[in-house]
Formats: sequence, C-alpha cells, structure tokens
Amino acid sequence: MRTRCNLYIFVCIIAGIFLVLGSLNYARANDFEQLRKESANIKTIQAHFVQKKSLKILSKPLISEGRFYYAAPDSFRWEYFKPLRNIVIANKNNTKRYIASGGKMVEDKTGGAQAMKIVLNEVAGWMSGKFNQNPSFAATINEGANIKITLTPTEKSMTGMIEKIEIILSKKSATVQSVKIIESANNFTQINFDNVEINKAINPSAFQDAQ
Amino acid sequence: MKGIPLLILIIFLFSCQTLPLINSPVSPVDEKALTCPSPFLKEKYRLVHAIETRVTGDTQSAIIGVTMADPSTRFISCAIMTAEGMVLFEAESGPGTLKITRALSPFDSADFAKNMIEDIKLIFFTPEGKIQKKGNLPDGAAICRYLEGNGDWIDVITDKSEGTAIKRYSSAGILKRQVKFNKTTGNIYQSIELQANEVLNYSLLMTLIEAQPVESELLQKE
Repeated sequence: MRTRCNLYIFVCIIAGIFLVLGSLNYARANDFEQLRKESANIKTIQAHFVQKKSLKILSKPLISEGRFYYAAPDSFRWEYFKPLRNIVIANKNNTKRYIASGGKMVEDKTGGAQAMKIVLNEVAGWMSGKFNQNPSFAATINEGANIKITLTPTEKSMTGMIEKIEIILSKKSATVQSVKIIESANNFTQINFDNVEINKAINPSAFQDAQ
Repeated sequence: MKGIPLLILIIFLFSCQTLPLINSPVSPVDEKALTCPSPFLKEKYRLVHAIETRVTGDTQSAIIGVTMADPSTRFISCAIMTAEGMVLFEAESGPGTLKITRALSPFDSADFAKNMIEDIKLIFFTPEGKIQKKGNLPDGAAICRYLEGNGDWIDVITDKSEGTAIKRYSSAGILKRQVKFNKTTGNIYQSIELQANEVLNYSLLMTLIEAQPVESELLQKE
C-alpha cells in the first residue's frame, strides 16, 4: 500500500512540477512567491515528452514517449504511448491508472483508493505553486545559463526512493526543458518536454476516457 | 497409525502420475540421436520486457522487466520498474548468491526475490539437472525431462504447431510453473507466458521491448 502510494506520488510529482513551472516566465532566483501568483493564470497545459530511464543494468537509456494534459484546478492525464502503453487520469477526486491489455485499456487493479486520495492532497500543493511550502521537499533555485530548481525530499517516506529532483527551465523560452528524478547515482529518469502549449483548449474527454 | 505411511505412499504415487508419460525411442541409438529442445540463451543477453500480470485470469497491472543473463556463468542481473521509470526491485544472482540492491513493498519479501530468480533461470537457462528421459509425448511433441538437484522435474517440450514450452514439476509431480514461448519464428523471447501455480495462481505475459547481446560493457562500466 505504501509503495503504491509512493508510486502515485512519483507520477504526480513529475506532473505537478511541470504544471507549476509552466508559469515561470517572471520567476527570479528567490522568487517563490511570484511563482505562486503566476501559476494562478494557468488554465490548461499540454506537452509531448520523451523519458529516458538510466539504470546500471541498461547499456543505454530506456526511452519512453508520451503526452501530458492538465486543466485547472484538478484534472490531469499523463499518458505513455510506448514502449508500455499506460495512462494515469485524475479528474476531480478520482484518480485511475489504465494499462493496455489485449488491444484495449483496462483499469489497473492494484491501486488503492486511499493511496490516490493521499496523492491528490500532495499534488494539490504543487499545482498551486507552493514550491517552498510543501514540507515533503526542500526547494532551491540556481540561475546560470538556465534556471535550475533542486528539490530534496525531507520526509522519511521518500527515503531510498528519491534522492533529489532537478528541474531545468529555459531562460529564453521561459518554459520547462527537463525534469531529472534521481533515485541513486546509477538510477535516474530524465524527462524532456517539447511542444508545450499553455491555455489551449483541451477536450474534456481527455480526463474521462482512457481509450 | 500404521496406515498413515501407506496413505502417504499412495498419495505420493498418485501425485507422480501427473508427470506426463514419455514414449522413449525403442533403440538406445535412436534415443541418443534425439535432440533436446533448447529455447535457452546461448550467450549473455540483455532483455527488456513489458510484463502484464494476471491473477486468476484478470489483468492486474503492467510493469517493465529488465534481465541480463549469462548462461555460461549462470549470472543474472534483473530489475523491475514502473512505466514512469521508478525502480521497484533490483537484484543480482550468481551460483549460490543473491544480492538485492532495491526492493520496495510488495517486492521486498525474501521469497519474492528467490522465486523471481528461479523463474528467470527457468525461462532463459538450460536446466542444471541431468536428463532423465528423452522421447515424445503421446501427441508427438518432442520432450526432454531433467531432474534438478532439489528433486524438481523440468520438461522442455517442442511441438511443431504449439511451439516450445517448459514445465516445472515438484518432486511429487505437481505442476508448479509453465512457460510458453508464443512465437515460433523470429525472436523466441518476443512473447512469453509464465503461469505459476501457487496458493493464488498468477500469470505473467511478457512482451519483448528490446534484446541485445551483451559484450563486456558492464565490466568496463564498473
């Protein structure tokens, strides 16, 4: 149950970070408050992503590809097209994962309702831009050629799961470039985003239909 | 009380009858000439599979499994991760050794790691035991039966139409695992189905994402 919960947190962190950072146009090195205000302007976000998983056992990263949708205040869809078709849909207080089986999408039966509820509470903090107010992570910002935000878990529940999360923002385009989730020195996930579209209409079925 | 050992013996003998009957060639020369089916790795390989888990036929979840297996040393390195890339389990095993580097619940029981390594060996490695019998099943499929050190029996079967299968039986002849290679042409590891007969029966449907022979890059990395 705890792992399941942590797993959803893991998924949602990826999504949540992206949501919040979509509005970093005016964020400066220590301006978390500004960031929180700007995130209020976001109604929808959608983007394509490429995920590269590096692990000691792999000679080259395992590449996954997918698309992400968000609509304020609490709807999101995180979808992998390949290599493992998989969708997480959250709509209002209802979060479900679907997997491809026999040519159709079926609900993952291992998730628990309680875990999902906990996760939604976790995500709510990220969505409202409360970077430095989430007690689960300590946040720092470094400004160089790009803006780098580093999140370090503070809670024991994340011990042995996530070492830190690094988010790179492009100064030029003012959008998130990549998120790197470091589980250990040889085990990390890099997600690169492209074709980011903010406040473009999203069909509501994206948050209801897994097909 | 005297009846109990007899009862156990009867049960044991009855159980043994679940091992399929093998028709061996009449001539020892013919038996020697019979080639055993071998769906096993011939060299060190790295394989990445999408794994769908089913319990009593119902799809439960899907994960990604990475296996690096060396048939010459019987060394196995493996990992299980979610689609999001979160590693749930990571372990290495050599002859007589098992090192678990990461195991999150529910993959953190000692039995899970041991059984998983045994399943990987069953799928990818030639059985360690001696061949006890060669021949054909009543339906004509070619079969070789191995007796493992712990008393388990392993049948490796090839049928022209059904493809290749591996079955593991307990020493009492109870079917414990069944591996079916669903693809008869191309990469034999493209689609593998493992059925486990436990207290709660489950099956794993493994679909190959990528496979590559491993040179010595892991050693170089280290």
